[in-house]
Amino acid sequence: MTHSAHHPLPFISEPTATDSAISVRGLTKRFGEFTAVSGIDFDVARGEIFGFLGPNGSGKTTTMRMLTGTIAPQSGSIRILGEDVVASPEKVKRRIGYMSQKFSLFEDLTVDENLRFYAGVYDLPADEFVKQRAYVLEMAGLVGREKELTANLSVGWKQRLALGAATIHEPELLFLDEPTSGVDPVARRHFWDLLYDLAGQGVTLFVTTHYMEEATQCGRLAFMYAGRIIAEGSPREIREQHLLDIGDRDDSGRLRTASIEDVFVRLVTREREEAGR
Amino acid sequence: MMAAMLSRVSAIAAKEFAHIRRDPRTLIAVLIVPIMQLMLFSYAISFDVKAVPTVVLDQDGTSASRAYLQTYRSSDFFAIKGSINDLASVDEAFRNHLAQVAVVVPPGFGRSLAKGEKAQVFVIVDGTEPNAAQLGQAYTVALNQLYDNKVLVKWADRQGFDTTQLGRIEPRIRTWYNPERKSADFLIPGLMVVIIMIVTVQQTAVTLVRERDLGTEEQMMVSPLRLPELMFAKLLPWTLLAFVDMVVIALVGLYYFHVPLRGSVMFLSVSAGFFVFASLGLGLIISAIAPSMESANIIAIMVAFLPAFLLSGFAFPLESIPPVLQGVSYLFPARYMIVISRGVFLKGAGFNELWPQLALLGGYSLLVIALASVLYGRRAAR
Ligand SMILES: Nc1ncnc2c1ncn2[C@@H]1O[C@H](COP(=O)(O)OP(=O)(O)OP(=O)(O)O)[C@@H](O)[C@H]1O
Ligand SMILES: [Mg+2]
Repeated sequence: MTHSAHHPLPFISEPTATDSAISVRGLTKRFGEFTAVSGIDFDVARGEIFGFLGPNGSGKTTTMRMLTGTIAPQSGSIRILGEDVVASPEKVKRRIGYMSQKFSLFEDLTVDENLRFYAGVYDLPADEFVKQRAYVLEMAGLVGREKELTANLSVGWKQRLALGAATIHEPELLFLDEPTSGVDPVARRHFWDLLYDLAGQGVTLFVTTHYMEEATQCGRLAFMYAGRIIAEGSPREIREQHLLDIGDRDDSGRLRTASIEDVFVRLVTREREEAGR
Repeated sequence: MMAAMLSRVSAIAAKEFAHIRRDPRTLIAVLIVPIMQLMLFSYAISFDVKAVPTVVLDQDGTSASRAYLQTYRSSDFFAIKGSINDLASVDEAFRNHLAQVAVVVPPGFGRSLAKGEKAQVFVIVDGTEPNAAQLGQAYTVALNQLYDNKVLVKWADRQGFDTTQLGRIEPRIRTWYNPERKSADFLIPGLMVVIIMIVTVQQTAVTLVRERDLGTEEQMMVSPLRLPELMFAKLLPWTLLAFVDMVVIALVGLYYFHVPLRGSVMFLSVSAGFFVFASLGLGLIISAIAPSMESANIIAIMVAFLPAFLLSGFAFPLESIPPVLQGVSYLFPARYMIVISRGVFLKGAGFNELWPQLALLGGYSLLVIALASVLYGRRAAR
């Protein structure tokens, strides 16, 4: 199912599409007086790579934690793979995966022990585990290094192992929170190849990143600022929609082709100026 | 689903054991340090045991009493500084630092032995000596050894008696100046409780904070793992280790220090189970509220170390501490367990005498585990 090119306006509460991987309406999270996420709406179609961008502290991680059922929102609805996560976060847990910026590996355990642990947590049958373990080791380039301590792996390998651990139970939907921060460009390229492979197998990916060249690799993007979504669409749509907004012209007066990064910087600057006024 | 739950719990428990295996410091802290503490303690006991200045008072004046006192003269443990004529002279001998121990053989000693009855001997220890507690323990141990192994048999051999027909010589030790006489018997059942408390609280206090720092806690919260499963699985390895500790300390106490174990091992184990759970629950509460590893460690020391030593009845009798602190002592599980431990080891007490302590400990552990779950739940919802 392809997602509609026209996104619902935030204030129109249309019935949530049952075929979407993620469907969020009016999602709000407050920490005391502070509103970290302020009534956001968005949909992610199955099989899509959805990029979630925004400056530090804009509410990306908070949103992701609500989507994975780790924290409860104050208001709003979340449907993940057709299930109501706010009412019963347990239902989808086996079907989703999560990889955090910290990679969430036990450094004092071996590669094998880490995989075995996450397989156990997801109650993987023994034959499944054998199959998935072989797949992950192959994918992460760790064949023959199963007995090595995770602490001794370099960052790129750790990151791929973390991806393997997060997908050992073959989730339909994978959340990745800044999965490539602190990784060199070659390893990052390699990592995105792996993400494309997963998407090719039909896995939906929800990714936050601060790297704009990664953003352009996503099928669709949402820009967050101060707890709100300020722009949404495919990378191309976003560039085209905001070209005039930004009004950046070259020396001869023609509109300049904006990159995603240009749009991002301009949007954030404009929001900050408006907030300052 | 039971099977899924079992898989999750055993995955975590297996991982915990792997952590423990990888980090020798943990194993050392949990298994080696307690034994070292016990051994240090043993050194303190055997220290100064040789040639303790002693006076003897023979009120019986029979050949039996003379022969008995002769074994003191021939023993390395005691240096007999002389005979005295009455009990009042014991005081004088102590005050003049002539002796630290007085052995008194009361009238009727020889007669009792001849009849095959229990014969009594009094050993008086000067409690004002700086290391009086240690000395007191030392004397007890030394005397026990003398009585159990040598004195009776040797003395009987020399007298040509059949040892099986002999009444036992029963030492009555009285400390004149230190009514809270400490001895290995008295200290080891308490020390066992203190060590277990420190080890378990400290270890569980940091184990969950570490996961939070690593980000693995968040990872687990996204998984189907439930909070009670996580807590249970985390406690499992430490419960086992605590029991290993307890058995090792008990064996050292029994076979090395000759502490008697008069009551039911079963009752002791059940009580210890509750006690370990209560301690682990305290550790979990610390884990839930501590913002960092360092603070978890500090709180653990405050909650485990100090109360275990000072507010448990281990070092001071609880009646002798200020009433406010007495009240505070009820908040920590060690005080209940020390009563149970001493009762079972020394007095042969069991369920009939100690059920109130057991009930308190059981209620306490339930309360603490429940509180830990609530605190965790609240944390997770933030
Ligand atoms: N548990 C919490 N308690 C109080 N405030 C919080 C909590 N978690 C997040 N916040 C605040 O909410 C805001 C959004 O945080 P969040 O981590 O979602 O941002 P982010 O977009 O992921 O930022 P970054 O790009 O730096 O990861 C921040 O101001 C943060 O300080
Ligand atoms: Mg974040």
